[in-house]
Parts: sequence; structure tokens; C-alpha cells
Amino acid sequence: MAEMHVWPRRDLRLTDGVLAAALFAASAGQWHGPAATRLPLVAVSALLAATVLPRRRYPAAAFAAGTVIAAAQIAFGLQPGGAAPSAYALQPTTTDLVILVLLATLAAYGPRRISVAGLVVCLAGCVAAIMRWAPAHQPSPGPSLFAAALGLAGLTLAAWVLGDSVAYRYRRAYYASLEERAARLEAERNAQAQLAAAAERARELQERRARAVEDSAARLRRIERDLHDGAQVRLTALAMALGEIKENLGAAGGGADPTADDAARTRMLVAAAHQNAKDTLAELRDLARGIHPPVLDRGLGAALSMLSETSAIPVGLDVSIPERPSPAIEAIAYFCAAELLANVAKHGAASRATISVIEQDGRLLMNVTDDGGGGARLVPGGGLAGLLERVQTVDGSLRADSPPGGPTVIAIELPGHA
Amino acid sequence: MFSQLRIVIAEDAAIMRDGLTQTLTRRGHDVVAAVADADALRQAVDAHLPDVAIIDVRMPPTHTDEGLRAALSIHRDHPKVGVLVFSQYIETRSAAELFAGAPAGVGYLIKDRVADVSDFIEALSRVAQGGTVLDPEVVRHLLGASRRAEALATLTAREREVLSLMAQGRSNAAIAATLVISPGVVEKHVASIFAKLGLAPSDNDNRRVIAAIRYLES
Repeated sequence: MAEMHVWPRRDLRLTDGVLAAALFAASAGQWHGPAATRLPLVAVSALLAATVLPRRRYPAAAFAAGTVIAAAQIAFGLQPGGAAPSAYALQPTTTDLVILVLLATLAAYGPRRISVAGLVVCLAGCVAAIMRWAPAHQPSPGPSLFAAALGLAGLTLAAWVLGDSVAYRYRRAYYASLEERAARLEAERNAQAQLAAAAERARELQERRARAVEDSAARLRRIERDLHDGAQVRLTALAMALGEIKENLGAAGGGADPTADDAARTRMLVAAAHQNAKDTLAELRDLARGIHPPVLDRGLGAALSMLSETSAIPVGLDVSIPERPSPAIEAIAYFCAAELLANVAKHGAASRATISVIEQDGRLLMNVTDDGGGGARLVPGGGLAGLLERVQTVDGSLRADSPPGGPTVIAIELPGHA
Repeated sequence: MFSQLRIVIAEDAAIMRDGLTQTLTRRGHDVVAAVADADALRQAVDAHLPDVAIIDVRMPPTHTDEGLRAALSIHRDHPKVGVLVFSQYIETRSAAELFAGAPAGVGYLIKDRVADVSDFIEALSRVAQGGTVLDPEVVRHLLGASRRAEALATLTAREREVLSLMAQGRSNAAIAATLVISPGVVEKHVASIFAKLGLAPSDNDNRRVIAAIRYLES
């Protein structure tokens, strides 16, 4: 980026003020003669010097004002010594340098075509000045004319070139800053596009996860239903048949039959098979319930109520949720509560536990409290950490507050939907 | 003292439905209807007015507690019809709902109990005769989770056994037979239990069961 030194506006005004004053004062030595000659000259010098003040803000207007005043000066022959007799040499006041300053300013701050026009006007002014006064009226004007033209035109051109070079520098810096801004905008647009893409991706992943979580909850529910309708039913029927066989054998048993040994062995085998079937049924029941407690189908409140009724210690329950959360959320809340109650019972000490569930801003807040000895910690690989992991699969949170001596409060927060 | 029972079965699993029907028929009972959902059950009960209805808790369409709702409505509309509710899982809450009010002729059992055929039929007969049956597992849970742990702790081991059987709906005679003690001893235990728990004594088996359950639940 092209660095550009920019003066503070206040300093610029001061600079121009000093410049105007200097230009005005520079011609002080030329104010002599009678008042009628002197005062108009002072006035013209003052007016000319004053045009320097607004030159940066209104370069074209200041230039126009300056040239009009200078033109008037030429027209009325206002110069040191009064309206010149034709033999006098050209005597512009020093303040006329203002025109050069204004031209340079115009070239620096104005559009180039206007500054070129200004240059032409100035050159025309030079010609006019030379024509009006000396040395055109001298007896042999050749060399003097040439020198005056060269001097005036040279100064004018130099002022213009100086101003224009400043403008060139300004423009270059301006274009550079434009380019830089364009590049920055482009980079910003890219970053925004990337952000939008990332947000879209995050949303997509979130949706996919929610679907996966709900799918898996639904699948577990289906597995439980299948077990209930399939294996459990068949096994129950089998156990019933074995029970009947056992009872029939038992009723027919006894007596001094030569096959008594065989019958006794059969009875034993059937009794064992019967017992096996019953034990398997019990195990299958626990397994199925572990996969998906059917009572969850009746809502979290019903499930927690059953949980608290079958808990080893008394449990106070307070469930207040106006709307049912999605099945996956209900299942997570239920399993957390079950695990926490099992922990409370396992670590003893507690004589009572409470479960409270409320809904707040669409989120489920569950607190499980017990009056045990406290000291529950979230340690890696621990039971609470396992629950935290489970809760985090749906962007939930788990906090444990369990000072030594109790009470223990486990606060779980879950979204209403996965 | 065998008396033939007229039975309606409501069970959505065909294997169970057929198995139960055959077993009960072989034992000389009359299965007047075997249906697969709650609506058919209500129609069958209205039509046949059986002694007892065996009802699965989970039935179509939602597979949650249709059976329980049907049992409650049948028990309300036909107090003489015994209802034995069958559940795959122990649901104390369902049991409590069933046993609220005046639970004469009401039973709640886990499905596994059919494996012990004679015990099951005995329970069925009790319900049919207006008695009460509560699954031992539910009673165990009630005892385990009772808030009256302190009072229960004052009971002797034998008294706890008797209380448990009492809560299951067994009569004094049945308790005596199960524990192999004389009915007189059972009566003594029962009186002692009621005294220790601060319950009003009652000769009526049903009211005794209710008192015991209420006590454990409270």
C-alpha cells in the first residue's frame, strides 16, 4: 500500500493562512505613490491573497476568482506606480504569484481537464499581460519580449506540472487504496462464504446426528418389541409346556415300577429344563427392559414413577413437563435417572432421593438429589462420565454438586429433541 | 373341590393364546373366548360374562397399557367378573392402579407365572372367586422400596414371609400350607404383624391384602 502523508486539516488551514499573509505582505514594498494609486493596489493584493484560503476546498472557484481579479488588475492597469504609461515595463505585484499557487492547487486537487483549461487561461493571461504592458511597447522589444514570455510561461507551466505531479501521486495512492479495499472485500466475502458453508455443514451434521439418535432409539424400541412378541412369548409357552409335563410326570410317579429309575431321571431332567426355561425368561426380561423399558412408551413421568417405586431407597418424584420430549431424549433421561438411583443405592448412606424434572425454554432439566455422604466426582471412566458422554450425544450437559458430607445434586440438562 | 371356570383370554400373541387355551382346557376349564385385542375382549366379556378374564397388559394398537384399561373398565362394569392382568414386566404403578378402590376379584401377575401351571390355575381360581392375587415379585419390590423400613425392621423373618404371602393375596390356610405351619400359628403371626405395623385387624382376606399393600405403598 502506498503510504500517504496527510496533514491534519487544521494545519493545512494554518499553512494557507500563513501563505496568504506572506503573499500579501510580499508586495508591501510596492505600495507607494499617492493614496489613489496605493489603495486600489493594496485592495487587489488583499483580494488576491485571500483566494489562497479556500483553494484546497474549492480549487476551481478559487482559481476562477484569482484569474478574474488578476484580469481586472491587468484591465485597469493596477500596478506599482499607477496606471502605466505605455513606456513602462511590466510590473506585476509579488502577490500575483497567487495565480501560480492557485494553478498548482487546481492541478493538484481538480480534475485534469479543468486544470489544463486553467493552464490555458493562465498562458492567455501571460500573453495579455505582456501585450498590455512592457516590453511590447519598447522601441526594440525582441529579446525582452522573449525573456518575459519565457519567464512567465515557464513559471506557469512549472506551477501546473508541480500541482499535477501531486495529483498524480494522490491518484496513485487512491487507486492503490481502491485496489486494497477491493482485495479486502473479496477476502471478506470469501471468509463469509466459508463461514456460511461451515454453518450449513454444522446444521447438516446436527440434523444427521439427531436422526441417528432418534433412529437408534426407535431401533432399540423395535428390538424390545420383537423380543416381547417373539422370543419371550415362545419361551413362556415352552416353560408352560415343561411345567405341565413336570406336573403330569409328578402325578404319575411313584410305585414299584421297574422303570421307576428312568421315570425319576426323566422327572429330574424335565424339572431342570423347566427351571432353566424360567431362569432364561427372567434373564430375557431383564435384557429386554435394559434395551428399552416398555413403560417409556407411556411417557417419562410414568417411567420415572416406576423407577422410583422399584428403587431400593424411597424416592420423591416431581415431574412437570407440559410436552413430551422426543423418545430418544426420554430414553436418555430415563437411563440417567436409573443409573443415578442405582449409584445412590449402591453407595449406601443415603436414606432418601428425589428426582425433579421440569421444562424450561424447550429444554429438559432433571435434578437427582440424595442425602448421602456426597463426594460424587466426574472422573474419566467413571459412572458419571459415562452419563455425561451419553448426555453429550444430544448436546446435553451434566453437573455434579456433591460436597463432602452431602447432599449430592446431579443436574442434567437435555434438549427437547435430539 | 374342583370347580370348572368359564374363562375369556385376551392375548395378542397367538402362541401364548393357544397354549393357555389348551392348558386350561386340559385342566377341565372352559375357555369361552380367546381374543387378541381390547375391543374384542370387552365384547367377549359382555357376551359371555365369564368367571374370570386373563388379560395381557400390552395389546394392539399401541402396545402400552390397553389391557390394563380394559381390565379396569371390565371390573367397573362387571364386578362379578374376575380380572387377572398379565404383564411381561413388573409395573408397580399398573398394579397399584388395579388395586385402587375395592379390588375384589383382581389379580396381577408376571407372565412367567404360567410356567408353574398348578400355581397359576390356583391363582386364577382365587381371582374368579373374588379373591386377590398380587405377584410375589411386586410384593418383594413393595417391601424393598417401602418408606416404612423402620416399622418393617421390627418384624421377624417369619413375620416378613407371612406379610409377603398375605400381600400376594393368600388366605391363612394357603399361607399355612406354603410355610408348613399350622393355621393357628399363621393367625398368631398375622395378629402380631398388624399390631407391629399399627394396622386394624381384619378377617376379610381382601381387605387384609389392601391394608398390607396400602401400608407398603404409603
